[in-house]
Amino acid sequence: MSEKDIISLCPKAFYPLWKRSPIVFTGYILVIFYFLFCLYYFDFSLGKILSGLSNMKPILVAMFTWNDFFNWNFNSIFTGLAQTLGMAFLGTFLATLVCIPISFVASRQIFKFGLIRFLIKRFLDFIRGVDILIWAIIYVRAFGLGPFAGLLSIFTVDVGTLGKLFSEATDNADARQIEGMQSTGASKISVIRYGLIPQIFPIFISQSLYFFESNTRSAVILGVVGAGGIGLQLTERMKAQYWDQTLFIIILILIMVAIIDTASRIIRKNIIDE
Amino acid sequence: MASLEINSLVKKFSETTAINDISIRILDGEMVGIIGKSGAGKSTLMRLINRLIEPTSGSIAYNGIEITSLKGKNLKQWRSKCAMIFQQFNLIDRLDVLTNVLSGTLGINFKLLKLLKIYSKKEKIEALTYLNNLDLSDKALQRVGTLSGGQQQRVAIARAMMQNPSILLADEPISSLDPKNSKVVMDDIKKINKQDGIMVICNLHSLEIAKEYCDRLIGLSDGKIVFDGHPSSLTKELAEQLYDLENE
Amino acid sequence: MNDSLLKRHITIYSEQLRSRRLWNIFIILIFAVSFFMSSSIIDFNLSQIIDGFPRLSDYIVKILPNLDINLILENSKTEGSIQYWYFNFKKYAALLYETFNMAVLATLMGFIFALILSFLSAKNITPNIYSYHLVKRILEFLRGVPEIIFAILFVWALGVGPLAGIIAITIHTTGALGKLFSEVHENADLKTCEAIRSHGGNWVSEMRYGIIPKVLPNIISYALLRFEINIRASTVIGFVGAGGIGQELYLVINFNYYEEVSAIILLIILTVITIDISSGRIRQKIIGEMGV
Repeated sequence: MSEKDIISLCPKAFYPLWKRSPIVFTGYILVIFYFLFCLYYFDFSLGKILSGLSNMKPILVAMFTWNDFFNWNFNSIFTGLAQTLGMAFLGTFLATLVCIPISFVASRQIFKFGLIRFLIKRFLDFIRGVDILIWAIIYVRAFGLGPFAGLLSIFTVDVGTLGKLFSEATDNADARQIEGMQSTGASKISVIRYGLIPQIFPIFISQSLYFFESNTRSAVILGVVGAGGIGLQLTERMKAQYWDQTLFIIILILIMVAIIDTASRIIRKNIIDE
Repeated sequence: MASLEINSLVKKFSETTAINDISIRILDGEMVGIIGKSGAGKSTLMRLINRLIEPTSGSIAYNGIEITSLKGKNLKQWRSKCAMIFQQFNLIDRLDVLTNVLSGTLGINFKLLKLLKIYSKKEKIEALTYLNNLDLSDKALQRVGTLSGGQQQRVAIARAMMQNPSILLADEPISSLDPKNSKVVMDDIKKINKQDGIMVICNLHSLEIAKEYCDRLIGLSDGKIVFDGHPSSLTKELAEQLYDLENE
Repeated sequence: MNDSLLKRHITIYSEQLRSRRLWNIFIILIFAVSFFMSSSIIDFNLSQIIDGFPRLSDYIVKILPNLDINLILENSKTEGSIQYWYFNFKKYAALLYETFNMAVLATLMGFIFALILSFLSAKNITPNIYSYHLVKRILEFLRGVPEIIFAILFVWALGVGPLAGIIAITIHTTGALGKLFSEVHENADLKTCEAIRSHGGNWVSEMRYGIIPKVLPNIISYALLRFEINIRASTVIGFVGAGGIGQELYLVINFNYYEEVSAIILLIILTVITIDISSGRIRQKIIGEMGV
């Protein structure tokens, strides 16, 4: 067979790229173009990055020279760590308590009022739409600097997220068990207590634990806007250019987060097994 | 005449010995069927020849060149010289047939452009020719995942042919196919062996097919050769012993 | 006989019940102790809430716009109109656009770095075990440090502006996506890789043709999810001077330009929700539809 015959078997395979699949091709070109445009938009030049990195050099050197280690204020550092953990724990705990009743009201199976459900869900969406740092900055304005503002911001964001997750869990609960209770003529409270809670409780606990874990991470950064905890200690030291202590605190944070991760993973696994 | 020579080849996995002191000599143009029950070491032998796994001891030589000590570029050259097809086809399901066939050239002629799925016209023509020979040219731009098992295995054969191989290793090529497709695929393999004079080494589960298509059978049991000869000289007793309880 | 069996069952049951109860009491005790310890360390008490809430509601009332239903569509000179509330809209729009681009650039760059590193840090395909451990540790560090901390560092090094924020988010994205991607790779079937190796293909070809086509829908959908997260991140990373609309928000909050606070927050919410919804749609479409 001649070359021409072969090509005629499937001429499309020999088209240039843009003719073979124009949509995909345009997609790639657009992404690449937008990427280049963004580089241009931000004046993103290698020279700038390199000069920036050379500015980083003394900082990095300072990070690794721990001269007066024994004179550091460990008391404030470890208090900061404890505050961060406390914020995360209390915030998650209180949010869980608040979200349990919310989830019953927002659940299709218990309450039939569509409007209330709709309003609650939109309210939760709104809460989640605002980043935790924005909440923190508002609470700092209202309640002053300190971990209390941090606690409230964690609580607020958690109500938004846990409220949504909990009400999804109640929505997905097995309807037959609830109907079974309703058919005995039990009160609403006992329907919830015996028809619903046994089904959803393990889910709630494991989700709350998971959020406690991720809240320790969020609690770290709340200090950046003055909402207490280890983040405050960290940013203060960065502002004062105590880079050695900065690195020390970052390492402590990493260790703390790793410990919480592992512990929560083990506990969650045990709860699900039970 | 060029030949593949395997001498006292041993492959041990942590506990078991998969290949236990095997020596074979296979000539160019032969079509050899390797038979035996599963776990006899057939697949391991294929992978040793292609150097997908390393032997514990022993030697494999092709045309007098030691294979087991090849490294880097030479190793890649050897691998592309002995093409391989697999029981599960091992194709790129999400890509079209033509690109799959063209991927056979990645070993012999690697170019950075090929990572963007850009291949030369010459290679495309070659790929399409192989597909045409296997009656698949109309499927060239279809996704592999949408083809039947038999068609997929033939795409894999076309991909193997793209490597211009001297040896074709077929690891259970028809185990996941129905009888009709099995025949088509085995016919294609036989054609490659006869027309292009390519040495074919083929793992087969089914004794009937092996007898029908191969000029020479090698029976493996527990990593050892228990039979080597023309299909007609394989006695019934030996065959039963080879397949043990798994007799088909 | 039957009686004794019943008795034994009852003893076993009551023992189980007792140990269960003990366990529950133990858990409640732990919770109580953690609760009081946490409360004392962060000075959490009722009086604080009672004192604070009037101030909070004051503040919220202050930042809410003074909209007058009769004047709502008037021009920007009339107090009570939307235009008066959003008199700075052009500036916000430009900043939102900058924020969006920050997230796009950081996500794209992070995606590229993460993809490259993920091949090294996936146990089943890594070219050697040392690079596996090394890259894995690096990725852990990159995602362990919050982006805003990186941002503070880069504001020191590069000066105030979006560049610091982009680099910070890129670094964090690299760490987060790198881990997810390598987990996706670790679950991928290696048959195609084996075939490409058997052709004499090199490691890069194995990754390109053996892994990428299989994992692409997954990793794209992870990347889009990350993009949603990065949009949020880039709206607040400006709090430390790293560019985007957060920088402006920080400013108006600190200067007490009350109505502008709510104007900006509302815009941020709308942006975040719009992007969450559209990216969610794309993610659903992508699964099972990509051929690369």
